[in-house]
Amino acid sequence: MKISLDWLSDFVDWTDETAVLAERLTAAGLNVEGIEQINKTFPGVVVARVLEREKHPDADRLSLCKVDDGTGAPVQVVCGAPNVRAGLTVLFARVGAELPGDLRIKKSKIRGIESFGMICSATELDLGIDGAGIIELETKLPSGTPADELFGFKDTVLEVEVTPNRPDWLSHVGVAREVAAIYGTKMSLPPVFNAVQGGESLGMKVRVEHYADCGRYTAWGLQRVKIAPSPRWMQNRLRAIGARPINNVVDITNYVMFEMGQPLHAFDRGQLAGNAITVRRAPKNTSVQTLDGQTREVEAGTLMVCDEKGPVALAGVMGLGNSEVSEKTTEVLLESAFFNPSLVRRASRRMGLISESSYRFERVADWDMVERAALRALQLLQEHAGARIVPDWADRHDPDHRPADPLPLRVWQVNRLLGTAVNTGQVAQILQRLGLKVQPMGNAESISAGAVNMMVHVPSHRRDLLLEVDLIEEIARIHGLDQLTGRGGYRAPGGAVRRQPDVVRERLREWLSACGYAEIVTSSFMESGDHDKLALAADDARRATLAVVNPRHGGDTQLRTVLAPSALVVSRRNLNAGATPPLRFFQINRVFRPGQPLGREIRHADEALLPAEHEYVQVAVAGWRDTGLGGLPCDLLEIRGTVEALAGHLRLPLVLQPGADEPWLDAGASWRVCTADGRVVGVAGRVAPAVLAAFDVDGPVALAEVRLDDLDLTPAAARFVPFTRFPAVKRDLSLLVPSGVAFGQIQDTVTEVGGELLELSELFDIYRGKGVPEGNAAFGIRLKFRSGTGSLKGETVDAAIGEILAALKDRWAIETRGL
Amino acid sequence: MQEMIDRLRSEASAAIAAAGDDAALEAVRVAVLGRKGSLTGLLRGLKDLDDTARREAGAALNVLKEELSAAIEARVAVLGGGTPAASSGYDLTLPGHAPAPAGSRHPLLTVLENICDIFHGMGFSRDEGPEVELDYYNFTALNFPDDHPARDIQDTFYFNEKVLLRTQTSPVQVRMMERREPPLACIFPGRVYRNENADASHSSEFFQVEGLVVDRAVSMADLKDTVDTFVKNFFGASAPTRFRPHYFPFTEPSVEVDMQCILCGGKGCGVCKQSGWLEIMGAGMVHPNVFKSAGYPDDRYTGFAFGMGIDRIAMLKYGITDIRLLYENDLRFLNQFRGVQ
Repeated sequence: MKISLDWLSDFVDWTDETAVLAERLTAAGLNVEGIEQINKTFPGVVVARVLEREKHPDADRLSLCKVDDGTGAPVQVVCGAPNVRAGLTVLFARVGAELPGDLRIKKSKIRGIESFGMICSATELDLGIDGAGIIELETKLPSGTPADELFGFKDTVLEVEVTPNRPDWLSHVGVAREVAAIYGTKMSLPPVFNAVQGGESLGMKVRVEHYADCGRYTAWGLQRVKIAPSPRWMQNRLRAIGARPINNVVDITNYVMFEMGQPLHAFDRGQLAGNAITVRRAPKNTSVQTLDGQTREVEAGTLMVCDEKGPVALAGVMGLGNSEVSEKTTEVLLESAFFNPSLVRRASRRMGLISESSYRFERVADWDMVERAALRALQLLQEHAGARIVPDWADRHDPDHRPADPLPLRVWQVNRLLGTAVNTGQVAQILQRLGLKVQPMGNAESISAGAVNMMVHVPSHRRDLLLEVDLIEEIARIHGLDQLTGRGGYRAPGGAVRRQPDVVRERLREWLSACGYAEIVTSSFMESGDHDKLALAADDARRATLAVVNPRHGGDTQLRTVLAPSALVVSRRNLNAGATPPLRFFQINRVFRPGQPLGREIRHADEALLPAEHEYVQVAVAGWRDTGLGGLPCDLLEIRGTVEALAGHLRLPLVLQPGADEPWLDAGASWRVCTADGRVVGVAGRVAPAVLAAFDVDGPVALAEVRLDDLDLTPAAARFVPFTRFPAVKRDLSLLVPSGVAFGQIQDTVTEVGGELLELSELFDIYRGKGVPEGNAAFGIRLKFRSGTGSLKGETVDAAIGEILAALKDRWAIETRGL
Repeated sequence: MQEMIDRLRSEASAAIAAAGDDAALEAVRVAVLGRKGSLTGLLRGLKDLDDTARREAGAALNVLKEELSAAIEARVAVLGGGTPAASSGYDLTLPGHAPAPAGSRHPLLTVLENICDIFHGMGFSRDEGPEVELDYYNFTALNFPDDHPARDIQDTFYFNEKVLLRTQTSPVQVRMMERREPPLACIFPGRVYRNENADASHSSEFFQVEGLVVDRAVSMADLKDTVDTFVKNFFGASAPTRFRPHYFPFTEPSVEVDMQCILCGGKGCGVCKQSGWLEIMGAGMVHPNVFKSAGYPDDRYTGFAFGMGIDRIAMLKYGITDIRLLYENDLRFLNQFRGVQ
């Protein structure tokens, strides 16, 4: 919303300079977002008379003119406008003139003819839209008169942010009221036409079908209207606040709306069928042509203003083309009404049509302004459109309409809520400054708990004041929010509770970043083809997504059900940007699974409509092409190691079992992540090459995802177990392992046979090549023995190892290799 | 005397800085601090001065002596860094081996945790709510009437008439109050969504931290104190704050909280759009209708709530100029936030 200070000063005086005024308005809640200085001048542009006009010798559409610009000697100028002719009085930009858009007029040659200036059109001077071409002025203006004297104006415009609760600020009068309240001064309303009741009949019957839809409808007749441009000052003010002048009648209705906040509509009376106006709901879907030239579908139930043939306006939103005021209009029917805010809002939203009018009606217009705004428009129409006012007017209004009930106010509650120590007198004074009527109650000075000290009457332009607390806000903002001082911050009795999952999640993040992973934050949306790219089966439950019905243009619609795509996209981005592999990422994020149990307490019946929000931790290693132990890819080893370490970090007994049942992972290079009781809580492995290709990732990616909300993140605290002080005996074995035998099988055998004495067995090397038969591998395994009852003897260890080797040979045909 | 001291200070400092190797530096040391050095000479000359002058000059010379010794030592360290240590024969300039490669925390979540920590210290408990919300919790229960323009403040992604992506963390307020009786002091961090096009300062997904306090008689002054305490703790400075009246359907009175611009100290700069103030959160006293939604009896409690956008605060803190950088996950961006933040 823009407020012209020139306009505002019609109604209220203030002494502060603009910046201070802006600060005070902001402090009162009308946030001033910008201050624009308008200084429209036309240096070098003057009134001139066209003395001669002939065709340009070398161009059919150009004219060669001589003009008198008041300097004496005629000036030669080439002009392209079709309406230029001898005898016209025009605006002439002399050589050196500066035009809007940083255009500087220079002496020039146009098709071989010298031109010393320019005859201007309205567009070139930013004075409006071109008519026939150049501007034609009144002939009696003397040549040489500076254009500034005719068209220059200065103004200061405030760009203000009006919150939805304050429709009264959507007008200059409303802002003037606020200025008056801030400075404690008086404000005045604009002059109005003093309507004379009775006399000539309007000849128009008005009917309102339901007062609930339209609380009041007034119609006013104007005759002998002369459609013309509105006066220059009105055009300047409208332009200053960003409105486009059209003609006197339309401009006046707009002007009054911006001035008083009440939207008005002018019908061409000559175009209205019959002698009755009805405000009613559309009985069925129809299509209409609105003033902006568009054909629109109107749903049944939309509130319309109709003549005897059909709709002539979408009530409160926009008029229709069939009754639009045009250059031929001579009789006008002026509408000023109070439409139901919800109906206007619904109609405006359904049709995607937000007008200055609908914007104000849906925020609740001022009931008391309906008549006054019409009278203001009549006064202006009489003055600037030559209109003769039909003395009679039509007025239908809800007979049950009452002013708002007065609100009780407790000064005790004011101080309780604000932490202030104001007294009844101060409160009453603030409310009165705001134009509210205060009626003292009971013992006005007693501010004990619950005592009502006054009843407050709210005027019709402040229908946002519905509760006592609304009045308290008024007191707060006028008393000054900078006055508040408290007790040094609220402290909750009992202190804070920190939920274990929050603590664990945060530690997990710290730990993963310390392990070398970069934390990422990715969108909750997925791309529409992601499920196909991941090769999910047609009946995969994760294909069921929630999709927004009103996405951004070109934006994604589906909420993700899998995290994997986001890691692939981040990998691609960074590999393409030339980051040096291996790249490591992690995220803790949610996926959205409709139709799954919510896993939380439900209080609202509709909660069944909500998806489950599962939280996953995901780690990714991208672009690493090296191989490591046993010829396995390094990223695969690392992702396994990370998941195992993560389980250790969370003190959870998670195990990895080969082969994840996940279409986007390489079946031969993946694991299921399982809890001790075999529940699958995640997967880890290398992303399948086809999936990498589908996501256009140039390099391998190893991924692991573990669902956190499926895990017990409140593991039991560690319990100390006494350890033996007897020394350990270490032995290294070198085993010749035939192909087809897995390390896990060896380890299981060793652990089983080694029994209680075997404290630890670990793999330290795998060797293939010289000295090892083709197809076999040499495994280096370190064993550590210890007894809880005494120092181990060499022969005891030898015996244990002998049993282990025998079992390995027996079960897996593993031979010992000389060390 | 003072003149001579000053001259010696500048000459000797220059010579130390110019010394290119250990030998040159040693020569400077001898020339200044050695037995026949210039400073030593001046010290010797003290005995010819009267009492007052001797005390003053003596003190000044001792200060200078310490300064120059320190400068020489510092220079030794610099020069020494480039030469292999002789004793072991190791090249001690070889790069070390980190226990793990360097990872990083996302700045947005770091800021979120920092904020939660501060409020935790003030006695606030933490909770969360769903991101896909019922219209009821996101709007109706928060006193956004149906068909009311207040709903236009936040462009909303809808799944159907009843289900949407939450536009604010405020619905968690009602969920919390439904479950628990006051006194309450809670924060609710989380992701929120707005149906708007992305540009340098807007993202359709971003993060908020919501705060809620409900008790028998908490006041707007308590809110002001709480905000001030937070600002002091988070921004480490006593940047003044101001309350500007505003409108949120679920608080009354409602305010926007501005903090004096930390970059220009209130003088006006590009970041604060010349206003000297930065908007950091919306806040207010819990609206009676919200207590009604929660099932609390009329008038029994008062409360305050606040909500702040984490993205904007992270951008301010780290000097990030485009919000989209926070969601692109480019390592050249992420790597800048390594280490303790």
